[in-house]
Amino acid sequence: MAIVEVTDLEKTFNADSPDPVRVLEDLNLEVEEGEFVALMGPSGSGKTTLLNLIAGLDSPTRGTIRVGDQVISGMSESELAKWRTRNVGFVFQFYNLLPVLTAAENVELPLLLLPMTGAERKQRVRNALEIVGLGDRMSHRPGKLSGGQCQRVGIARAIVTDPTIVVCDEPTGALDAKSADNALNLLEQLRADLGKTIIMVTHDPHAAERAQRIVHLEKGRIVPGDERLRLASTRR
Amino acid sequence: MPPEAASFMGGGPDLSLLQLAVYAVLGLLLVIFILTLMGIGTLPIFFTALLGLQLGLGAAQNLPDPIGKWSKVGGLVFRNMRRNLLRTALVYVALFVLTGMLTLIYTFVTSLVKLTADKEGQQLVILTEKHSIPSQMPPGHERRLRELLRELDPADRPADLDANIMTWSFIGGSTEKGKPTPQNSLFFFALSPEAITSGMMAEQGLNPEDLGSTNWEELLRVVEVVKEDKRHVVIGEDRLKIMNKRVGDTITVYSTNYPGVSFECIIVGAFPAGGRMGGAAAMRYDYLLSLLDEYEKANGKKHPNADRCLNLVWVRMPSKAAYEKLAGKVNNNTAFTPAAKLETFSAIVGAFTEGLKDILWGMKYIVMPAIVCIMCLVVGITITIGVRERWKEMAVMKVLGFGPGQVMSTVVAEAVLIGLFGGMLATWSMWGGVALVSGWAKGAGGGAAFFASLKVPVEVLWMGPALGLFIGLVGSALPSWSARKVKVSEVFSQVA
Ligand SMILES: Nc1ncnc2c1ncn2[C@@H]1O[C@H](COP(=O)(O)OP(=O)(O)O)[C@@H](O)[C@H]1O
Ligand SMILES: [Mg+2]
Repeated sequence: MAIVEVTDLEKTFNADSPDPVRVLEDLNLEVEEGEFVALMGPSGSGKTTLLNLIAGLDSPTRGTIRVGDQVISGMSESELAKWRTRNVGFVFQFYNLLPVLTAAENVELPLLLLPMTGAERKQRVRNALEIVGLGDRMSHRPGKLSGGQCQRVGIARAIVTDPTIVVCDEPTGALDAKSADNALNLLEQLRADLGKTIIMVTHDPHAAERAQRIVHLEKGRIVPGDERLRLASTRR
Repeated sequence: MPPEAASFMGGGPDLSLLQLAVYAVLGLLLVIFILTLMGIGTLPIFFTALLGLQLGLGAAQNLPDPIGKWSKVGGLVFRNMRRNLLRTALVYVALFVLTGMLTLIYTFVTSLVKLTADKEGQQLVILTEKHSIPSQMPPGHERRLRELLRELDPADRPADLDANIMTWSFIGGSTEKGKPTPQNSLFFFALSPEAITSGMMAEQGLNPEDLGSTNWEELLRVVEVVKEDKRHVVIGEDRLKIMNKRVGDTITVYSTNYPGVSFECIIVGAFPAGGRMGGAAAMRYDYLLSLLDEYEKANGKKHPNADRCLNLVWVRMPSKAAYEKLAGKVNNNTAFTPAAKLETFSAIVGAFTEGLKDILWGMKYIVMPAIVCIMCLVVGITITIGVRERWKEMAVMKVLGFGPGQVMSTVVAEAVLIGLFGGMLATWSMWGGVALVSGWAKGAGGGAAFFASLKVPVEVLWMGPALGLFIGLVGSALPSWSARKVKVSEVFSQVA
């Protein structure tokens, strides 16, 4: 069974206003467990909107979204918040780390919302930071880290709760070519070694190439037939 | 000094409204300046306290959850406050200054209200002429009042009448006949020396608390000396200095309001400088009476003011009901000619402060609320700026699953902390500072008597922190409400 199942999705902003903006319509999508999917499409095509809906940051106007064994379309805002903590890891374009917290504290932040002993939290934070190769930067503040390192802290924060899915919106958008490559390697590695399910929005074809499957979005619809499966990348 | 005395003294320096306004503005600026210095001076305490709290929270992070967990979120508050130290410091100082001003106004308003409020127990009541200002009564009025007092039930009159009644006569004069100047003039209260020992003049600062025990002992000794000879007088140190005289000197005072009467005075003591009697002088009432008698003998007719030489009579009555009974006997009593009236001291002070009533009202209902509003604005604006700066961060916290209440409370906590410390340190340091000055002044006595009587009401100690708490909550209400409503999906939407 697919781990993400989107059925007959419609999203209309300002639905009740005189000029509603229909961003997504008749959208169906399935993502398998352990799959690395890239969402591509021109600017304004609705990629971010779709990702927000799958990640439980917004609710659809119509249609259903199932993630794991839970139907999240129809959940209230506070139910969604609780659900996100356990089930979604977020990687942002601009990292969105809290500048006053150290790398370790940033990674620990989502764990504070879960029932867990302090020792367990510490262990998980260390693990996550070691996975992204920053085990020696635990007590550095974001201001003392490079963009690439910040993004790796962001990725560590996204996986520390061991979520059902990891969502990334333009994760390489703010990085130079080398750092971008590193970040993409890391995402591939997460999928390959840890079996993470990753959905990544990007308009960079090179970044999309690293995914197993690219879904093209145009004017709120998935472009049929253009969807292609790729062999699992062996690059590390 | 009795309020009426002012009318004998030419009403004091003549201030124009403009001058008064200038003084008020200068005074206000001085107060703000001093408060700002105090605010800056207490900044280290403020930051040390914050650091202490943060360290405490840091230690609590190692405690079992949920304490450990939430102290980590609480730690965020302190780090955010430290993020812009200058801004935090400025808001603290602003709140300190405003709270300090509130404290001063509150002290002023409450002490005035206390002064005019009728005390339930003992009543100081005053006999004056009914239809004329200034009040000028014949000496017989005192005897008639004593008779009426004796007619009352024992429970309604002071047990020891002599220790609870005093007369006041006001005598202006100068040491050079017909040529009064500010340097050679002085103002006497003619009264009986017992008025000091019986405590009737406690309100004038002649009491052990205000003077300090050394000065009080000295005053009691001087009073005994005064009793030895009618011509013995006591003059305030400030006045002596102006007149370039000292204790032991003999002066002749040519009265201005008793023409043709001159007093041969031997200065046997001095009232402490700075106190309420520092610029005044006191002589024996019977000396005035005897000189008026001599005048009659020498001139074959009564002195024109002989029947107008008693200005006030004060009586301490045991209760308000007793006062009312006595007033019933005095008012409209034809035995008093010219007619006399009996009033409570607080009623007279009330009439005296009538002019202040508008100011008092304005302070209470305009100035104080306005200051509170300004404080809310200061906090509100600062917190709004902080929330704007951290908009994205708060959205991220919500994305990670933090509830709106949790995100909001980090904002409210910041405002409350600044408000609480600002209110607390401002009121506490003002109360403590004034208590310290007053304690020192009591020890020093003399010219410091004015400072010795200063006192900030003790209730400001809890009012300050409570106000700070309130200001923090109200000031952060709007920004924290908007923080609550941060839309999580906007975090992604801002992507290029
Ligand atoms: N909150 C919103 N209200 C109204 N319109 C929105 C909102 N969010 C996105 N849109 C519109 O939806 C369309 C798709 O936006 P988005 O999903 O961000 O595109 P992409 O990420 O593919 O560039 C755009 O035309 C955008 O203007
Ligand atoms: Mg987008």
